[in-house]
Amino acid sequence: MAQDSVDLSCDYQFWMQKLSVWDQASTLGTQQDTCVHLARFQEFLRKMYEALKEMDSNTIFERFPTIDQLLAKACWNPFILAYDESQKILIWCLCCLINKEPQNSRQSKLNSWVQGVLSHILSALRFDKEVALFTQGLGYAPIDYYPGLLKNMVLSLASELRENHLNGFNTQRRMTPERLASLSRVCVPLITLPDVDPLVEALLVCHGHEPQEILQPEFFEAVNEAILLKKISLPMSAVVCLWLRHLPSLEKAMLHLFEKLISSERNCLRRIECFIKDSSLPQAACHPAIFRVVDEMFRCALLETDGAPEIIATIQVFTQCFLEALEKENKQLRFALKTYFPYTSPSLAMVLLQDPQDVPRGCWLQTLKHISELLREAVEDQTHGSRGGPLESWFLFIHFGGWAEMVAEQLLRSAAEPPAALLWLLAFYYSPHDGRQQRAQTMMAYVVAPCRRGDLQPCGQRHSPAPPRWPETGHHM
Amino acid sequence: MESLLQHLDRFSELLAVSRTAHVRTWDPVTVRRALQWARYLRHIHRRFGRHGPIRTALERRLHNQWRQEGGFGRGPVPGLANFQALGHCDVLLSLRLLENQALGDAARHHLVQQLFPGPGVPDADEETLQESLARLARCGSAVHMLRFNGYRKNLNLQEDSLMKTQADLLLERLQEVGTAEAEGPARFLSSLWERLPQNNFLKVIAVALLQPPLSPRPQEESEPSIHKTPGEGSQALVHWLLGNSEVFAAFCRALPAGLLTLVTSRHPALSPVYLGLLTDWGQRLHYDLQKGIWVGTESQDVPWEELHNRFQSLCQAPPPLKDKVLTALETCKAQDGDFEVPGLSIWTDLLLALRSGAFRKRQVLGLSPGLSSV
Repeated sequence: MAQDSVDLSCDYQFWMQKLSVWDQASTLGTQQDTCVHLARFQEFLRKMYEALKEMDSNTIFERFPTIDQLLAKACWNPFILAYDESQKILIWCLCCLINKEPQNSRQSKLNSWVQGVLSHILSALRFDKEVALFTQGLGYAPIDYYPGLLKNMVLSLASELRENHLNGFNTQRRMTPERLASLSRVCVPLITLPDVDPLVEALLVCHGHEPQEILQPEFFEAVNEAILLKKISLPMSAVVCLWLRHLPSLEKAMLHLFEKLISSERNCLRRIECFIKDSSLPQAACHPAIFRVVDEMFRCALLETDGAPEIIATIQVFTQCFLEALEKENKQLRFALKTYFPYTSPSLAMVLLQDPQDVPRGCWLQTLKHISELLREAVEDQTHGSRGGPLESWFLFIHFGGWAEMVAEQLLRSAAEPPAALLWLLAFYYSPHDGRQQRAQTMMAYVVAPCRRGDLQPCGQRHSPAPPRWPETGHHM
Repeated sequence: MESLLQHLDRFSELLAVSRTAHVRTWDPVTVRRALQWARYLRHIHRRFGRHGPIRTALERRLHNQWRQEGGFGRGPVPGLANFQALGHCDVLLSLRLLENQALGDAARHHLVQQLFPGPGVPDADEETLQESLARLARCGSAVHMLRFNGYRKNLNLQEDSLMKTQADLLLERLQEVGTAEAEGPARFLSSLWERLPQNNFLKVIAVALLQPPLSPRPQEESEPSIHKTPGEGSQALVHWLLGNSEVFAAFCRALPAGLLTLVTSRHPALSPVYLGLLTDWGQRLHYDLQKGIWVGTESQDVPWEELHNRFQSLCQAPPPLKDKVLTALETCKAQDGDFEVPGLSIWTDLLLALRSGAFRKRQVLGLSPGLSSV
């Protein structure tokens, strides 16, 4: 507890200084700085409240003599008041300052002062005198019309953004970059206020005509955070725009997914699928640029974890969800397969991307042989000059768990001599890195020990038999 | 029912008192009771939102109170004006008390405790008073920030968000007042004209006249029991404007040409009066031979440019209005002697200017210089 109290004093000094610099957050610099610190300041306020509520007014002032200044400065910063629950916590802190039974006039005055500040927070900072006079004249109080006013302003700004986006050539009505940037900054504290959603959506989707990004990174970060924590609901098109415009957000979304998968106890496939679908990433990945980044991150994860079976399972489930989402996409807007797998031969991509369940049983052998041939060609052809060689092809292959399963089932079912192509496929799946000779030996091993084929029994689940071994040689993909 | 109405009366009194120095005498018990009453009325609002007869009775009572208290005249700031306001009467009361520095120490402390009890279990049913107040603070900041960092006044007034909000409020009040009594709107508007900044008021009227018909508000959780015929408010406005020539003259003088054209297109009843005004203005100008332009005699006379502007705008309106305007001009020209030479009749000159303006415009736009309809 003592340590906490020391921490609080340090923090107090830090925030006191910050608030003095920010003042009313009217310049670009102060606005940006405020936006970056909003979440941390709110945490500080919570800690303060926890401390203050245990003390009475006199003790509070002994401990923090300038507390009234700190709270007042916070109250005059509209960004702080607009953020999440900060206004509520500020109010609670102020309430702690009130003397229950004032002993002298100074304490009484303090009470009055607190009342005044509370009133200020709630008096909905007025602006246009004319508007205020008019509404008052009609007998309306701010509570009556502020929600409607906010809605009108939001819709008006959103439609202005759309028009700006569509009317590129009408320079008269163009929104200046400064105004756009300012608008995006102002939205940072307001992201979780549902009334502001149309504006957030418009900012994401309408990207104007400047060649470089105008919107503030704090804005993208705040939106992304809200999306990941489910504090905002935006249409898919807006989310895709966010991830396309701000790469760190996409990366963060992937990391968030990984964290969820790691931290959850035992991940059955059903749960992995839930997490993945929940993240909206498969849908977003229908856009090739996003798919490439996601795929790259999966590749890195495989590297980092030395080919952990959980990652492979995740990749397979992800690919499944991705293909489902792709199927639902508007056919006219679909990208060519090549854009998703640019380093693969088109014929291989096409074959692998089929749904194994669409292939009639009688054609299984044929299809698998074809896949085997194509893969073998890609792997053994040294002069091809394509990226990566065998590990690249392997990475592609493991996306599609259905095929490995099919190989296993085919081998088990047929009593006849197993075709070399299938054996090659299986050996490749488990040990992508083997040289030709070693692989040939592995294939022989599969033939010679029929009782060992029992190991290949697929579990009753929809994924590949046993996890493939990661090559122990330190080769990189 | 009677007890409910009495309750309403007592609460309205309370609300009125809450702004005065009288609260000095309030103790914590009074504060608690006041807030309880407010909570009760809020509950009533929720329960009887759909119940036609009870809601109507409450509305009528509130409206009468409001009118008596000075909703129409120069009285003190009125309290609850309609059923809608019951939905947040607790917020209204709370804000008034918080603003009132006459509150004693004990009462103040109790008030603050009641309003802001601190973090706790949120009520699943309805929003707590604390939440409502926090949301108001947040909403206020949002409006403030958007206003100073993103908002730009829309040159098309009817699309400006501040104007639209004011217009919506005006139309809403007009409908309520109109429902309560037939002559209500006219008297109400006249009282507003005397009390409020006139320039802003005129703009709001224009914007109100251009709004699409009001649909029942989404937060009204009920069948529209009494009013809500869309367009009633606009009709009241038109009626009032036509009945008050001084106001209408100011209306036509103060507002930009384009806006007036839109308003007159939308409300054809106004066009004869508007045209009449324009003709009056035109007749006040005489031709200055030396300068070669039409000038007025007094400083408040409408200058040639402005007159021309307005006619030009009207000629760009869609057919019924445009034809009326041209006919009127032709008639005036004929009455003056049907001159073709400039400098003799202002109507001739106007028509000439309008035709050549149209011709030039077609040239600029690359249209064929065919027979324009002007």
